[in-house]
Amino acid sequence: MDVELTEILEALCQHAPFDDMADDPQLNDMTKEIEIQYMRAGEWVIAPSSLNNALFFIRSGAIEVLSKDEKLIRRMNEGELFGYFSLLRGGKSSQSMRTIEDSLLYRIPARWFLKFYEENDTFSDFFELAREVRLRVAMDSQSSDVSLMTCPVVSLLRRQPISTDLSSDIRTAAQIMTEHRVSSLLITENDELIGIITDRDLRTRAVAQGLNYDTPISTIMTRDPLVMDSGDYASEAVLKMMGRNVHHIPIVKNGRPIGVISTGDLIQKESHGSVYLISDIYKQTSIEGLKSISRKMTHTFTQLVLADANTQMIGNAMSHIGTAFVKRLLQLAEEKFGPPPVPYCFIALGSQAREEQTIKTDQDNALILSNKYNPEQHGDYFKNLSDWVCQHLDACGYDLCTGDIMASNTRWRQPLNVWKDYFSEWIQQPKAEALLRLSIFFDLRGIYGDKTLAKQLNRHIRQEVKQHPGFLTFMARNANQRKPPLGFFRQFVLDGGGKQSHTFNLKERGIAPIIDIVRVHAFACGSDKLNTLERLEDIEAAGLLPDGRAKDLALALEMIGMVRIRNQKDQIEAGEEPNNQVNPENLSSFEKRHLRDAFHIVARQQEFIKFRYAGKRS
Amino acid sequence: MGKSLVKKTPKADRQDWQAMYAEWAKDAPEGPLKRFYEAGMISAQIALKDAPLLALDLETTGLDSSQDEIISLGLIPLNHRTIRCQGAKYWMAKPKRALNAESVTIHEITHAELAEAPRLEAILEEILAALAQHVIVVHCVSIERQFLLEAAMKIYGYPLYFPVLDTMDIERQAIHQPWWKRFGKQPSLRLDACRQRYKLPRYKAHHALTDALSSAELLQAQMSYHMDLDADIASYWV
Repeated sequence: MDVELTEILEALCQHAPFDDMADDPQLNDMTKEIEIQYMRAGEWVIAPSSLNNALFFIRSGAIEVLSKDEKLIRRMNEGELFGYFSLLRGGKSSQSMRTIEDSLLYRIPARWFLKFYEENDTFSDFFELAREVRLRVAMDSQSSDVSLMTCPVVSLLRRQPISTDLSSDIRTAAQIMTEHRVSSLLITENDELIGIITDRDLRTRAVAQGLNYDTPISTIMTRDPLVMDSGDYASEAVLKMMGRNVHHIPIVKNGRPIGVISTGDLIQKESHGSVYLISDIYKQTSIEGLKSISRKMTHTFTQLVLADANTQMIGNAMSHIGTAFVKRLLQLAEEKFGPPPVPYCFIALGSQAREEQTIKTDQDNALILSNKYNPEQHGDYFKNLSDWVCQHLDACGYDLCTGDIMASNTRWRQPLNVWKDYFSEWIQQPKAEALLRLSIFFDLRGIYGDKTLAKQLNRHIRQEVKQHPGFLTFMARNANQRKPPLGFFRQFVLDGGGKQSHTFNLKERGIAPIIDIVRVHAFACGSDKLNTLERLEDIEAAGLLPDGRAKDLALALEMIGMVRIRNQKDQIEAGEEPNNQVNPENLSSFEKRHLRDAFHIVARQQEFIKFRYAGKRS
Repeated sequence: MGKSLVKKTPKADRQDWQAMYAEWAKDAPEGPLKRFYEAGMISAQIALKDAPLLALDLETTGLDSSQDEIISLGLIPLNHRTIRCQGAKYWMAKPKRALNAESVTIHEITHAELAEAPRLEAILEEILAALAQHVIVVHCVSIERQFLLEAAMKIYGYPLYFPVLDTMDIERQAIHQPWWKRFGKQPSLRLDACRQRYKLPRYKAHHALTDALSSAELLQAQMSYHMDLDADIASYWV
């Protein structure tokens, strides 16, 4: 009679990787060779420096894993597997395992583990030893093929481009557009793209201006329009449209136009109204109007999450929206208080500067004034302007900064020279404690006004850092202040030393440390980029990190960021204020497993920069 | 949970199953049962941790061993450290009388499955070979012992006896409290309730092999909490 140990088989099949192998008849054969063992709390399952010859499955109870020097590495409970590390290394175990609760363990003979590891890809992916590789595989399995991130713009083109010659007049152009039912028309000369007109141009630049219908098209077209290459991703098109507030982008291949992509095409691709939201912002003439748009933002955010947009794209979208609010408010402020007496630049700091904003962030901003600024003459104007803008940003959902890092604070509303002095002092005489608070200033982007002021300041900062490499040591130490958790155990977050807590801050303990690490390297290689992923590209190009490490950090950031935005989406849907607190009970086992890998990557890279930028200390 | 050891049988009351097997080997009629006794039994002085143990569970058509019949039997070998699935065995036996609806729902065994199974007569020899030389582990000794004894009487005309570690009896002693310390009812001694005291997982009951596995795991837990692994097997077997 065939013996089936159904209880054992069913218990295994409830957990990865066996859950994906339920159809494999060999699994039943494996079950027949399992040995079961009950152990009381506090017993060694794999004693220090002993040999191991089995894969262990925790049927009930819990164990903890200790390193050679008896440091806690992780805790594991029902359904988890251990012992495989040593099986792949001929049985030698560098870690030891002991029960921390009364436990029932299944001992699966090594030969079964090795057999499935050889034959079954799902199985071997699960046990992939390098966390970096495991995370890569997991992230690949998550990205959907239809998302904007992986879809080239060329796939969105639905027709040949409609174009006309530069010599056409306005009437001919309008007729062509009507005939082909298009909202934009490319203007070419000898097959080369030289301009574009849209419905809006006909309305605002021709009809409203009372131009004759035989006026040449060249008078109303946009010359040298923004174009994209056929191989670019659709997500980039969304970002470009948001950044420039345009609704049509010609697509070129080998320099020749092959079509036009419009907001409509992207909306069909579910990327959603973030592009429209931005043009709506620019259309508003009152604070009330802006406030009512700000209330739609959570919807836009959840739509982006549901559309499988990745965190980079969401960060970009949210930052562009935030920037649009600032710009529009400043335009309105200049209407109210009159044109600025001297040039100024409104700068975004922190996540907005890095274009990594998420839903619900405080405002972090400042003002760089031209060196011609004279406090007695111009002080009131800029004070009024800044107070007004910051206050209304608050009304639009960008809460006032609790640390008072805002343009409305006189200290952060200064001429370029003063700003340069600030940074010189921070860089030449860094005080670790102050830096933790001030690190936000090191990501700064001009978003309105005379942006050369921001450029000059950024250049100054990078020169100062180059001349004072000791500053990198401080930044590296700073980047080591916030440690990621060790992992998870049951419904708890587990920290080094065994401390367990119910929730943790994903931004503080996962995202911020990565941003800090990357900033150090970026300054070290003189990169002028602000976005973390763009910085990583520069860092990789500069060869500052061993091969693949830059990519690992990017993956870790994406993994942690993804959990964060999904958590925020869930909070919004539950009617709560979105924040960065995560309760492990709300994480899937997939998320827990790979967050743990991501945390491990962060912890290792924190160690790395500690030594890489150790500096000369006695 | 109390960490106290359960009482060992006083020396004078200990059974010498080895000697009894030798007697019955002479006495039993030629055939499988005689060979079972001839295979012998371990000495009463073997330590608990060295004894070959075999967890057993039966499913029957009812509780009356004179009328009801065995319909399935599961076995799984163990010692104080491991339970070996590789040695697990399971049989179904077709009863002479039709199953009533009630017992069908209890066992999750269907008429169709049983209709195809052999009669107990045809497989008892195989079962005896598996049981030979082992100390049997059951939860509540009286039922299993009685049914197998009756079956052997009917088929071979001679009784079947074997030494047993009874997890229910061990549990009763382990949680025993003198009457002046007891509040309310005595704790349950059902297999599932006993397992929960050791934080063992919940299983679906009433499959002979699962229940055998259940009592094997329970005995391991009891051994680690309440039994002296170096004590003679005779201090615990009954």
